[in-house]
Amino acid sequence: MSARAASAACAAPAATAGWAGILAGVLALFVALPPLTVRSDALVVVLGALALAAGAAALRGGERKLGGAAILAGLLGAGLGYGAAHTATGGLEAAVSWGALGGATLRFACPLIFAALGGLVSERSGVVNIALEGMMLMGAFFAAYGADKTGSWVLGILIGMLAGAALAAVHAVFAISVRSDQIVSGTALNFVALGLTGYMYVDVYGADGTPNDLPQVPEVHLPTSSLGFAGNSIDDQNLLVWVSLVMVVAVWVFVFRTRAGLRMRSVGENPRAAETVGISVQRTRYLAVIASGALAALGGAFLSIGSVHSFTQNMTAGKGFIALAALIFGRWRPFGLLAATLLFGFSSALAQRLPQLTPGAENVATLLQALPYVLTLVAVAGVIGRSIPPKADGVPYKREG
Amino acid sequence: MTPPALQLSAITKRFGAVAANDGVDFELRRGEIHALLGENGAGKSTLMNIVYGMLTPDAGEIRVGGEPVTIGSPRQAMKLGIGMVFQHFMLVDVMTVAENVVLGAEPTKGALLDSRAAVARVRELAGRHGLSVDPDAVVEDITVGQQQRVEILRALDRGADILVLDEPTAVLTAQETAELMTVLRGLRDKGTSIVFISHKLSEVRAIADRVTVLRRGRTVGTVEVAGPNPPDEAELARLMVGRDVLLRVEKAACRPAAPLLDVRDLEADDDRGLRAVDGVSFDVRGGEIVAIAGVDGNGQRELVEAVCDLRAPVAGKVTVGGKDVTGRGARHARDCGLGHIAEDRQRSGLVLDFTLSENLALRDVDRRTRFGLLSPRRMLARATDLLAEFDVRGGGPQAAARSLSGGNQQKVVIAREIAAGPRVLVAAQPTRGLDVGAIEFVHRRLVAERDAGRAILLLSLELDEVRNLADRILVIFEGRIVGELPPTATEEQLGLLMLGGGGATSARASAA
Amino acid sequence: MTAPTPSDHRGPAATRLLRHLSVGGAVAPLITTIVAFFVGGLVVLATGKDPLTTYKAIFDGTGLNWLLPWSGDRALAATNLQQTLINTGPLILCGLAVAYAFRAGLFNIGAQGQYTMGTIAAVYAGSSWAGLPGWLHVVLAMAVAALAGAAWAGIAGALRASTGANEVITTIMLNYTALWIGVYLFGLGGPLQANDQPDVPVSNDIVGGAKLPVFWGDKDLQGLHVGIFVAVLAAGIFWVVLNRSRLGYEARAVGFSPPAARSAGIGVGRTYVVTMAICGLFAGLAGSLDILGWQFHLATNDISASQVGFLGIAVALLGRNTAIGTCFAALLFGALSQGTSVRNLDPAVFQPELAQNLTTVIQGLVVLLVSADVLLASVWRRRRARAGGGGAAAAPPTPTTLGSVSP
Repeated sequence: MSARAASAACAAPAATAGWAGILAGVLALFVALPPLTVRSDALVVVLGALALAAGAAALRGGERKLGGAAILAGLLGAGLGYGAAHTATGGLEAAVSWGALGGATLRFACPLIFAALGGLVSERSGVVNIALEGMMLMGAFFAAYGADKTGSWVLGILIGMLAGAALAAVHAVFAISVRSDQIVSGTALNFVALGLTGYMYVDVYGADGTPNDLPQVPEVHLPTSSLGFAGNSIDDQNLLVWVSLVMVVAVWVFVFRTRAGLRMRSVGENPRAAETVGISVQRTRYLAVIASGALAALGGAFLSIGSVHSFTQNMTAGKGFIALAALIFGRWRPFGLLAATLLFGFSSALAQRLPQLTPGAENVATLLQALPYVLTLVAVAGVIGRSIPPKADGVPYKREG
Repeated sequence: MTPPALQLSAITKRFGAVAANDGVDFELRRGEIHALLGENGAGKSTLMNIVYGMLTPDAGEIRVGGEPVTIGSPRQAMKLGIGMVFQHFMLVDVMTVAENVVLGAEPTKGALLDSRAAVARVRELAGRHGLSVDPDAVVEDITVGQQQRVEILRALDRGADILVLDEPTAVLTAQETAELMTVLRGLRDKGTSIVFISHKLSEVRAIADRVTVLRRGRTVGTVEVAGPNPPDEAELARLMVGRDVLLRVEKAACRPAAPLLDVRDLEADDDRGLRAVDGVSFDVRGGEIVAIAGVDGNGQRELVEAVCDLRAPVAGKVTVGGKDVTGRGARHARDCGLGHIAEDRQRSGLVLDFTLSENLALRDVDRRTRFGLLSPRRMLARATDLLAEFDVRGGGPQAAARSLSGGNQQKVVIAREIAAGPRVLVAAQPTRGLDVGAIEFVHRRLVAERDAGRAILLLSLELDEVRNLADRILVIFEGRIVGELPPTATEEQLGLLMLGGGGATSARASAA
Repeated sequence: MTAPTPSDHRGPAATRLLRHLSVGGAVAPLITTIVAFFVGGLVVLATGKDPLTTYKAIFDGTGLNWLLPWSGDRALAATNLQQTLINTGPLILCGLAVAYAFRAGLFNIGAQGQYTMGTIAAVYAGSSWAGLPGWLHVVLAMAVAALAGAAWAGIAGALRASTGANEVITTIMLNYTALWIGVYLFGLGGPLQANDQPDVPVSNDIVGGAKLPVFWGDKDLQGLHVGIFVAVLAAGIFWVVLNRSRLGYEARAVGFSPPAARSAGIGVGRTYVVTMAICGLFAGLAGSLDILGWQFHLATNDISASQVGFLGIAVALLGRNTAIGTCFAALLFGALSQGTSVRNLDPAVFQPELAQNLTTVIQGLVVLLVSADVLLASVWRRRRARAGGGGAAAAPPTPTTLGSVSP
């Protein structure tokens, strides 16, 4: 009783602390960027620490969301600000040419969006999918292979998606019908996909690599470059980037606004309840997992024939796991994961651009690459409101005899 | 004459060697509320799960509206107009009330869900049957009573005219129970036939038109309650329990010594954060058995967990043999001389995949070591002795606990707890689900331990057991001790207190 | 009260797996392996090559033919076997790191990250403190590596215990966090990058005294170091801790039934932390073996290319989470990667780049099939239980409990 009264009493100071923390976190980055361009670690670190302290105070005072946001702002602000403060001033202005950075952010986010949406569909139906990495890899190789053999990027994408769906179907059989442990099955399929695509790549293309005239997914040129930062970000993007953004909306509509989506969610939350109202748990999960593979493969196809126009072994390099992180960080919601992928994409873009322009301190930016993982750790630990998966996620379902 | 809404003839369902239903007959007339009464394990839920297609009977016939049917799935049951409200609700917690009600038969507009139509449909249905609930609320945010209404609404939405409710009041407050009764009467008056599963006599008398009593998987009989000559509770109790199961335990007079367990002003919350134990104080002396009697769900589980330090109490103090054990962890309580026969032996009492020898070492593994390492030889030797002493059959010390029968599993738990030499023994429903022979063993053993000077706290839902074993009986109701009775008290006296009747309720009301 | 948590439903899933994995003996893993090789052979066949000669060439490359005294080039076979065993040591340890967690009902996907932290700590310790006597330096470096792994794994354990955060997710995230920490430390301009090679993203070399002694083969041609004994000894310790110590007993009790363990007074949360830390000890030690045994320095490429910790999952599953099973499974995988390495496999018979990928496929298939033989094991169990008579069956499935899907 008394504790509750006390927390109510300090709710207002706690909220103030939270907002102050967020402000301090933002300032930590802001002072290091043009036009201020302060070159002092101490200031950045102090501001970041202030943000963390204020966030902690807000949390203690019961302001969970504000406190979490302040801690997040502190971590981000201090991290990015520290990186920026170690960057040569001239380079910084070039690196933070916002239009290019925005464009790169979208390009980094695109494959993550597809894969994370795939994960969303699968996990919302109750099947954990840590084979996203493998499904992306299948998509990446088979899209390149298909485009090469058919001479058409459209067919390439379709073949890539089919390959991803095929791998997902194997996952479905083991996870749903055989009721294997879904983590084990997913881990196994990551190995299988890595080996299979590597094997076929070496067998088909050998030392020469994929041909230079590989059909490519076209870019979409928009006359928006004069419209400042936003226009600069989108004026020259790959078609698949646009598709990924449309897909976020489409998946949201499907999951939350259609009958099939409602049923899928009910299967992922309480399969027995779904069964008692006549919904087939097995069928729903099979379809969801297979769709998940096709979506993740689309992300892989972007990597090979959308972005770098070639395939190399293990070219996903952990992107499937970043997508998984984005899914969790975005709390199993389409727009949540979009925000997460944009954040992760931004940190990748920054990490990629900073070192090019700042000889001598290339390395600090590397730490930005760890950001998605650290943020997701923080998210599952419940500091910023808890990420809670669908209730039946990962639990094999067995019908009664 | 119209055929009965539902007729079951000679239904038999076996699980392994146990017959949960053994030739059960049951008839539900149109437009009646028919209570299915019986003790825990009498076969009520099994029977109704057969009706709803969740289980397939081994033998027997089901007729719906006079037509013989086979019901293979809940879907078929729904088509036949049968709806079921489960004890554990079949709801999707994160979805809204409306979404839950229409799930499986959703209205659509083009390709999209028509949530406005769903809400309207639910609102209309709720209004028609007097089940007030907000269609837009998310299920996990509403009360248990409202969740139950969602279940009822869903059944009605599918056009159910036979409604089965499995122990619907077990999770409800008194107020919610009263509201449910009103709703059910309204449904009956509109022509719905209702099966009401319960083991609470007073409720059955209050709501039912007829009662069918099940005992150990068999139909004992069907009685008119609403008729001109209604049976009283004692009569129903006699049918439900049967005279033949009365077990007498030979025991000498109680010679209580100093208090060994002392509980003062204990308060504890349940898993949902609601106060379940509300200022309980009592003591148990060496050489006496104190029983806590009460209807299921009145805070017994939380009380046991708080006493054994498996649940952090909100307030209060527990001492064992003079040592404060409050909130210091289960291991500390055990070290101070507290033994605990857990309510659910398969979940908390035993590690089912461990061998008996490993299970017997669970509480004092540190005393079974040699040079800091476990000594399997010593563990085996000790297990062999204990299994012999407690007459555990069905496997030696190397057998997995899982492979034993329930009675023998319970003997293993009791052997372990008593062998640890506790001064205080807490026995929570120690005979639940056991056969007569095993029950007798447990009773004798508890009395023997009492005579050896231990303080025994018994929690039981079985009145016979309470009256047979206890030297003092405390009655718990809604988390409070509402009275103390001697073992010579009549069932009526006990029952009145347990149901919150008598002086206790008025005392509580004036205090609140 | 921190114990009940929303994500707890994964615990029982791991528990279920664990329960199934503890039956069936060695037959099922053997069949699993044979089937995986058979399917791998089909892949080879499908690409127009001869599976039998391929497998024979891979087998010769493993050096296991050294055990057949009539085989051809003894010296070559010995060298190959040395390399196989160099691979095997860290695999055993990573397998133990995964297996120990399994026995406590936890799924440690994080052996890779724990291994990485071990390599970082080992290379730091090995390249500093140059004045120490050799044996002390080796022991210290191994201890530091093991502790680094334990601390890293302990994060996942502590999060599980305090907030219920699912250890599968946290260990995956920790894997990649460790990777980027390593890339940062040894990358160009990184704080631990080699002093004398400013243009190479690599650590300093460890000092001579910190290298593990070689006992078989040429010290300068990467002969077999004593790490394999460390690994086998660790497997022995694993067995003792698990089956003979209070710590392991409590871990197993928690693994099978957290509520029963709690009710018996075992601190479930504490057990999670300690268990994960022990897992990290094994994986961190694995890292030190590779650094002190033959790598002697750590390049950022090594960190991102390493798969040892992930293979530990396959090793533990195939070895059924037992000490001896883990040793044999590690030998199998260690031999496979040796037999398919570039310098061993004759390109005329089968391209080594292909063979390496074939190995990965086979490893994946093994894990996949292990997850399936879980089903076979449970079917077998159920049949046996039914044959054993009605009394043996636990309580009948009471219909009311059928409703709750996640326990």
